Amino acid sequence: MTPVRSAIVATGQSDHGRRFDASMGELAREAIDRCLGSRGLTFDDIDAVVAGNMEMFEGIYLVDQYLVGALGALGKPLYKMNTGGTVGASTALACYHLVASGRHKRVLGVGFQKQTEGSAQSAITTVGDPVWERAVMAGAIGNFATMASTYIAESGVTPEQAAKVAVKARRNACLNPHAHLKLPNITVEEVLESEMLAYPIHRLDFCPSSDGACAIVMAAESIAADHAEHPAWVHAVATSHDQQYMGDSPKRLAVMRSLQAATKKAYKLAGVTDPRHDFDVAELYEPASYAELAWYENVGFCPMGGGGDLIDSGVTLIDGDLPVNPSGGVLSTNPVGATAMIRVAEAADQVMGEAGEHQIPGVRRALATGYGGNAWSDVMILSRELPATPEVSA
Amino acid sequence: MALGTDTWIIGLGEARTAARRDDVSITELAWEAVEPALEDAGTSLPEIEGAVTASQDFWDGRTISSMSVNELVGGVFGSEAKVASDACLGLGYALARIEDEDQHLNLFLAHAKESQGDIHTIELAAFDPYFQRALGPDDTVVAAFQAQLLYGEGLFEPSHSARVVAAARARSSTLEQLSAQDVLESPATADPLRQLDRAPLVDCASALVLADGDNARRLGRTGVRIVAAASRTAAYWSQRPELHTAPEARAAAEEALSIAGWELSELDAIEINAPYAHQHLIIGHALGLGSGDALVERFEGDGNGPAVNASGGWLGGSAGSVAGLHAVVSVAQRLRQSGGRGLVHATTGIGCQSHHIVLLEATA
Repeated sequence: MTPVRSAIVATGQSDHGRRFDASMGELAREAIDRCLGSRGLTFDDIDAVVAGNMEMFEGIYLVDQYLVGALGALGKPLYKMNTGGTVGASTALACYHLVASGRHKRVLGVGFQKQTEGSAQSAITTVGDPVWERAVMAGAIGNFATMASTYIAESGVTPEQAAKVAVKARRNACLNPHAHLKLPNITVEEVLESEMLAYPIHRLDFCPSSDGACAIVMAAESIAADHAEHPAWVHAVATSHDQQYMGDSPKRLAVMRSLQAATKKAYKLAGVTDPRHDFDVAELYEPASYAELAWYENVGFCPMGGGGDLIDSGVTLIDGDLPVNPSGGVLSTNPVGATAMIRVAEAADQVMGEAGEHQIPGVRRALATGYGGNAWSDVMILSRELPATPEVSA
Repeated sequence: MALGTDTWIIGLGEARTAARRDDVSITELAWEAVEPALEDAGTSLPEIEGAVTASQDFWDGRTISSMSVNELVGGVFGSEAKVASDACLGLGYALARIEDEDQHLNLFLAHAKESQGDIHTIELAAFDPYFQRALGPDDTVVAAFQAQLLYGEGLFEPSHSARVVAAARARSSTLEQLSAQDVLESPATADPLRQLDRAPLVDCASALVLADGDNARRLGRTGVRIVAAASRTAAYWSQRPELHTAPEARAAAEEALSIAGWELSELDAIEINAPYAHQHLIIGHALGLGSGDALVERFEGDGNGPAVNASGGWLGGSAGSVAGLHAVVSVAQRLRQSGGRGLVHATTGIGCQSHHIVLLEATA
């Protein structure tokens, strides 16, 4: 059947941070209430719910079933996505497919994680090969240290250029009421002098571990305008993965093959030919400062090897020509189950003109990406314009 | 035009099920299902546009459990999405990916290697961490509460559950046969349950190749169509005083049957999947298949209507995440030969919290 044109019509986020005042369910509900409340919607308006969370982080098996009440899924289909760091984006993509297929008209997507109640790094360590990788690349930091070292060798990017990304993120976060890590006076020097976690990653080069939740409502064309003055129309979605183990995907990060493949598909479908100028804003999933520089190259915002020059140019600053992560990005907020959905929700807010103090003027088209697992990439392109022809990609 | 979807099951495959498959890794076990499914469909991985899988991190002992199978379902530089639930719910998502033309050929896989997990540790993790875990419960404890409520109603008794187990074992190709008396005399676990009331843990995997109408016709495999899928979720077990009922199973079935334009009486195959024997009675009753001896006779194949669980079902040798798909494979195999209509039920969660329904149809 012809896909139903679909749009994000509402978003909501909890306040992210170390939330000792709220349980997992309360965090999820905080985001859901803000999302539905912003449009006067209730659970009765929702046809199905898609939940995103990495269960081993908090150690709750079947967490979607446990939190069914908080998620508003009583008596409804409740899908549970589980794809690693991409899970929030995979959840948003699932919302899209469930609406675009005509199976449902309004689907609520919820990503959530309460990392203070678990050990995310212990769980992430199980991503690696138990014999060869876990001992030397444990957790996310070990992985990114290895990848960033390769990236430095390949591209010539400098620690100072990476530190500029870290500064940009934490200053942007000061404009975002939901962000976790807000450092208005952070400097490049402070980043470079922060504790070395694993070369070349300093503490301030890396994302925090946050508690938080994010929610979106995806709606079909027939009702989207009932809920939002300017719905964020989905123009393309795409997913791509790389090999399971890092040793099988050479130069990972410097050459992010899955992100290249996913954006290539999505750009073709959305008619993006010059990503540097065709997007008005981007929310890229950058767990480490070096990652954002590498993503600039791999999504085509600059030539390969040009990530350092792009941050130096100021183009990606919040007042630049192509702002990247005006929300503060992952470097400022990282509740893993929600993180990639926050990228999607922030991109949608920008398109809808509802991003508050970090709104970029005149946004018509936005790019959101998710990163996770064994170098997996999710991509969603949102626009203020109704798609001429509804298209998606595997 | 036929009601329901235009999505077809064009390939079927299953791994060898056994209590322990120490001879294979999770990846190898899954490939045992994927390879024959591709061959059956007359296609190959390069043609597959995307995959949906079903598995659980806790049972695999690894976050993002689908990483173990990503490569063998065409996920490298392709799309794979994991649904952490029974495969019948995941199948609903795979249908959406085909219906919105995102994918025209999809590989659907469910896998579980239960021999690698510690059942009590894993099940305990599904309980409320603040108030319940300290008591050390597991699924069997809740199932016992449920069975007490069920038997207290007077419609069923433990011997009915024992006969359901015996019927499943009689049809099982992997588990030894048992009598109802064997079940009733097996060691007590939590009153009124016996050890053999529960499906044994196994290692297994099942796979489908799904296609839209154009590709099913191109490949000459318009045998079995997925007509509808529906799902409903109940409250968490401790918030369900009527734990021995399953109105969500009935609601999901009614929605699916409504989409198909079918009546329950028109079905040629019915499969109910749950980990404990008495839960089959709860669900069968909720679906309107009868009560007491009349319902049990349906499981035994002697009742008024087609046999329920001709595959043996979960009690005959399957696992969480996979059970629903094992039944889909079994029903699809039968419908290819005989034609007709089938209903597959599966469940997720403590005490059967979510209920999923898939309807299949074939013309002989």
